[in-house]
Amino acid sequence: MLGKRTLWQNCLLALALGVVLFFCLFPFIQILSTSLKHQFDWGNPSLIPIKLNLEAYQELLGLGEREEVPIPETVKRLLDNPLLTEEAKEKILSRYRSTKDVFPFPRFFLNTFLLSVTAAGLSLLLAVFGAYAFSRLRFKGRSVIRRSILFVYMVGGVLLMVPLYQMSVKVGLAGTVWGSLFSLVLIYIIQTLPVSLYMLGNYFRTIPFALEEAAATDGCSRIQALFLIILPLSVPMLITVFVYCFMIAWNEFLFAFVFLKQYHDFHTLPLALQSLFVSKNAIWDRIMAASMLTLSPVILCFVFIMRNLTRGLTEGGVKE
Amino acid sequence: MASLRLKNIHKRFGSVEVLHDINLEIKEGEFVVLVGPSGCGKSTTLRLIAGLEDITEGEVIINHNVVNLLEPQHRNIAMVFQNYALYPHKNVRENIIFGLKMAKVSRDIMDARLEKVAKMLELQDFLDRKPAQLSGGQRQRVAMGRAIVRDADVFLFDEPLSNLDAKLRHQMRSEIKRIHRAYQTTTLYVTHDQVEAMTMGDRIVVMKEGVIEQQGTPMEIYLKPSNTFVATFIGSPSMNLMDAKLFPEHVEIEGQRIHFKEKIQRPDFLLPKEGLPIKLGIRPDFFLDENFASRGGSLAKINNAKIDLIEPLGFDKELDVQVGPQSLKVRLDLRTTAKEGDTINLCFDMERAHFFDIKTDKNLFIHPAIRPQP
Repeated sequence: MLGKRTLWQNCLLALALGVVLFFCLFPFIQILSTSLKHQFDWGNPSLIPIKLNLEAYQELLGLGEREEVPIPETVKRLLDNPLLTEEAKEKILSRYRSTKDVFPFPRFFLNTFLLSVTAAGLSLLLAVFGAYAFSRLRFKGRSVIRRSILFVYMVGGVLLMVPLYQMSVKVGLAGTVWGSLFSLVLIYIIQTLPVSLYMLGNYFRTIPFALEEAAATDGCSRIQALFLIILPLSVPMLITVFVYCFMIAWNEFLFAFVFLKQYHDFHTLPLALQSLFVSKNAIWDRIMAASMLTLSPVILCFVFIMRNLTRGLTEGGVKE
Repeated sequence: MASLRLKNIHKRFGSVEVLHDINLEIKEGEFVVLVGPSGCGKSTTLRLIAGLEDITEGEVIINHNVVNLLEPQHRNIAMVFQNYALYPHKNVRENIIFGLKMAKVSRDIMDARLEKVAKMLELQDFLDRKPAQLSGGQRQRVAMGRAIVRDADVFLFDEPLSNLDAKLRHQMRSEIKRIHRAYQTTTLYVTHDQVEAMTMGDRIVVMKEGVIEQQGTPMEIYLKPSNTFVATFIGSPSMNLMDAKLFPEHVEIEGQRIHFKEKIQRPDFLLPKEGLPIKLGIRPDFFLDENFASRGGSLAKINNAKIDLIEPLGFDKELDVQVGPQSLKVRLDLRTTAKEGDTINLCFDMERAHFFDIKTDKNLFIHPAIRPQP
């Protein structure tokens, strides 16, 4: 029978799929495994930890108990000295209470989240109007602009890094932390806008124009038709585009490194992870747990996209 | 209710002119059907009125106001689309009241109108359903509900029944007529189906290649077609056009002389001695079998038509006959006993025959200008 596979062919296909799947998933399994292992277990090639270790996660998420650092007797005696001012005493004590070495994961997470949401939101907003113009309005040079937009991706980020930073310095943005953040958001928008325009534009074209015409005769202006008819019908694609932009910004390292390196408190997760590698806290379970936590929103986003992309909303409106 | 007027409308898409000098006036409350073959410009005309296309030249006047520059949302027009164009993410209720919401109509009025329309279109049980959960006929009813709920000045229907099956189409035709009777809204209805045009319109406008060929009441169009296009487009089966010669006292078809028996039938204009070559138009329904013609004596007659094919349709029979080399379609009542291969004498009332100029295809009795000049 046509298209019918034999058992042997099925087995071969399953094997090939298994190999590819394993190859793709192995790094993630390795990260998860190491993040759950104790130090003595790190050299063990087995992926299953001998004893489960959740300390790294607890520490990163601030769930564990803070370990008090004991003040040595000699220092205690020094503090008893009545000649010492309160200010000087506090300075000495603060060394033992310092949390400088602790990796502030929630803070970096929040930084990355806010930066990514802002960039993705703005990119989506611009993409909605741009894509609508490309798919619905008739103007000179429309198709040329539409096709040439993807050329942005022909130039690699590394090549643009220095000129963009120079530009940012020249207009006075790179000098302040807010200016740097603004530059970064702008760069993320530029990086994600072409694909967003492409994806949304193609989606808008699948929505029958008759719906907008019906809306117009029902009393809608063009912008009302866009917001009341087109966008509600494009929700799956809007979510997809938003998630795509969010993930690009979430994972971006290069530009964040250039623009935010000097502002430690505003580091994003990829940047913080890199500094974790080179810091004296480079403990494998923490690094891997941090990586795993960084990955988790991306995985959640993927699951969300998968669920939304399968839904078609325009069914039933127009007789084809 | 409003009047609608199209004044010298031209529409060009690039270098292609699709509408040539369209002039049309629709009175308040009138139901006008725009009919013509695909691509004749009838939908474009409708879209120009709705404001969905720009006008190249001319004026669209609604209620004595030129609306050329008004956006569709400001023209107070309701339109029913061929493909329904329902909002798929809204349920039936939301679809119907969408226009009212846009017009910021109060909740009470909105509910009252929704109830009235839903009852009229028998949609009460489907108000919470999405368009995807409705049948074709129900969707079309929702599309109509959306239009009539708005109390618009003009209703525009763009082939609303073309996606429905024959039975449903028949049902919806009556429904639309009923709605028009109830609301008396000025209506322009586009269709390519001449049965719809004949049954629904107060007036029919026949279009071809961007030109209005004829306008008039359905019976005027049917009984006095202005040219061969209108004659053959309206009526099913379409009118027979036979090559003939017109003389002052008779018509000659394939050597048979058919004399004018009444004065009214005779051409009152000058004809050449050798006869004027014409197309003689007779509708298939106007033929009678000589054996069953009660007024046989006063009727014109074509003798010895050879029967090629008989199609019994129940109430009557449709025959393909040959008169010399010319083929005719004839519809006779079921008493006719002739068989395929037999010959038959066919009678017809000469008053119902049409004489078309062979060069211009125009009806000689309607267009004096094309008659032979002395």
